[in-house]
Amino acid sequence: MVDLDASALTTTELNRKLRELAAQGTEHIHILNPQARHNIAVGLLDTCSITIEGSVGYYAASLMDGPQVTINGNAGWALGENLMKGKVVLTRNAGASLASSMRGGEVFVAGNAGARAGIGMKGGSLVIGGDAGFMTGFMMQRGTIIIGGDVGEGVGDSMYEGTIYVGGEIGSLGSDAKIEEASESELIQVWETMERHGIHDRKKFTKIVSAKKLYHFDSLERLEKRAV
Amino acid sequence: MVLGSSHIWATHHIEDIHAKAELGRYRIRGFSTFQKVTHFDDLVFLSTGLTRFPLEGYKEKCNTQVVLGARYASEPLVIDTPIYVTGMSYGALSRNAKVALGKAASLVGTATCTGDGGMLQDERDASNKLIYQVLPSRYGFDPHHLMGANAAEIVVGQGAKPGTGGLLMGVKVADNIAEMRELPLGIDQRSPTRHPDWLGPDDLSIKIEQIREATEGRLPISVKLGACRVADDVKLAAKAGADTIVIDSMVAGTGASAEILLDHSGIPTVPAIVQAREALRELGLYGQVSLVASGGIRNGADVAKALALGADAVAIGIAALIALNCNKEIPGTNFEDEIGVKAGYCNRCHTGLCPVGIATQDPVLEARLDPDEGAERVANFINSMTMELALLTRSLGKGDVRSLEPEDMAALTIEASAMAQIPLAGTNKVFGM
Repeated sequence: MVDLDASALTTTELNRKLRELAAQGTEHIHILNPQARHNIAVGLLDTCSITIEGSVGYYAASLMDGPQVTINGNAGWALGENLMKGKVVLTRNAGASLASSMRGGEVFVAGNAGARAGIGMKGGSLVIGGDAGFMTGFMMQRGTIIIGGDVGEGVGDSMYEGTIYVGGEIGSLGSDAKIEEASESELIQVWETMERHGIHDRKKFTKIVSAKKLYHFDSLERLEKRAV
Repeated sequence: MVLGSSHIWATHHIEDIHAKAELGRYRIRGFSTFQKVTHFDDLVFLSTGLTRFPLEGYKEKCNTQVVLGARYASEPLVIDTPIYVTGMSYGALSRNAKVALGKAASLVGTATCTGDGGMLQDERDASNKLIYQVLPSRYGFDPHHLMGANAAEIVVGQGAKPGTGGLLMGVKVADNIAEMRELPLGIDQRSPTRHPDWLGPDDLSIKIEQIREATEGRLPISVKLGACRVADDVKLAAKAGADTIVIDSMVAGTGASAEILLDHSGIPTVPAIVQAREALRELGLYGQVSLVASGGIRNGADVAKALALGADAVAIGIAALIALNCNKEIPGTNFEDEIGVKAGYCNRCHTGLCPVGIATQDPVLEARLDPDEGAERVANFINSMTMELALLTRSLGKGDVRSLEPEDMAALTIEASAMAQIPLAGTNKVFGM
């Protein structure tokens, strides 16, 4: 294990050091004093394990492909943005645009998330222990979002595919989103996922999917034929 | 007088109402605006006479190489001609078209750009210098591709349809395209227009910093803006830390847009460049932040005039596609049968029925475009424009295209004088000052 005192490094130096240590096969990196700075642990493409002791700013653990990052604190906007694979765990609350455009891997937030959680999500799994803000799952394409608590207005607006499970109250459904009955096996999967993260309250989750009514224009001109 | 004489109720307006009365929605087409706007044709060069000497027009050395994005990037983009190929998606265009454009750019020492559909590996392989776009949709966005690129471009808006995202009709959302974009097969794809992870200029500065961190400060980062409130947008993009600002005007092209946006939003290229230049000058950043103009670049004179107005380079889209045979009957094509109009009149890129294999995902049509032959034509065309640019530059007594300036030109119309902020020909008067 290697300890890094972020307060003694610029963000660029810290990210460079993380890349070097990961490339050398360092198994665990421990970052102290992150000072809630933006862009910590950005663009890491090697497998490694990182723990950050304290809160981080925007874009923490973003543009990553492989690492496992645990943050013991809060995070600003776009935590885990465009994650390809790997895992991001946040012990407290996340700001807006959590896990935006993530394509794979897993993001878990123990507390609440701000607006637009899982916006443009393209794969993987986003799990929020607490509440999530408005426009959660906006234009989501693939993947799964699980929200243990309540979700705000416009959930699942214009989603294409993927599934959103909500344990608490729903502010309102977004355009072209609909509620569908979750099957027993789906509920068991959701409960098991929550239990892996230490949440044992087996709620009756509401399942939200795309109504698929906005997939196509209602009408076409003569030459605008359909592919399928 | 008969109805056809009316400018208000012109025949195309009548046809448009008939079509919408059937369709029940906005109409879609490709190409570019039909509005008559002030353009580069309304400006002329004041070549040398007794006040200054010309350079030998055909041979004497004239530098055409430019460097883009040197403000912060440790590896700015160096291109041998101030003309590069703009972002057009694999999806809007066929694989053969994307590969041809990449090869052409490499042949003439310039760059090409990905577009709203992710990076095609064949395109990367064909392109010595590739600009990787960061779009609101993030279709296929891959940090590996970003790190392997030669520049990054954050797209805020597109000149043809500022304030809206990409549009790709279902016929073009074929197997590969749907998979690369992680979308359901065959949907009428309407891309997001807001970025998922940032909203305003303060967030944008953190986004730029993120890309800089991910690419270790190597890549120049440009911000592409649809030309609307140009002065304010350019100042905000520059303040956010852009190395390069791309101004894409209302004249610029698209593979598919609602017609109503093409013809009724944005401002033309000429005033857009001038406003961008003055905004950077006001910040003391003119010359530090590179400026790229796009929209309606057709020949070396357009390039020269864009540079003289203040751009460091131009990006071409439609012109490169025309060089690839867009709107040309070639062996095997029959435009009237296949797309309902004669060659030279086609703007139906969005239908996926492109007879010459450029704007299609149909393998039979795509086979009509040979990427090597296409690359040669586009390379020839860019070389021709570069020679025209150098010819004009020498005729003005200059040995470097970077020395072109507004003082080299006069305006042919009062409107062009006001928009370009240069004197009306035959007068010393700049209108609108």
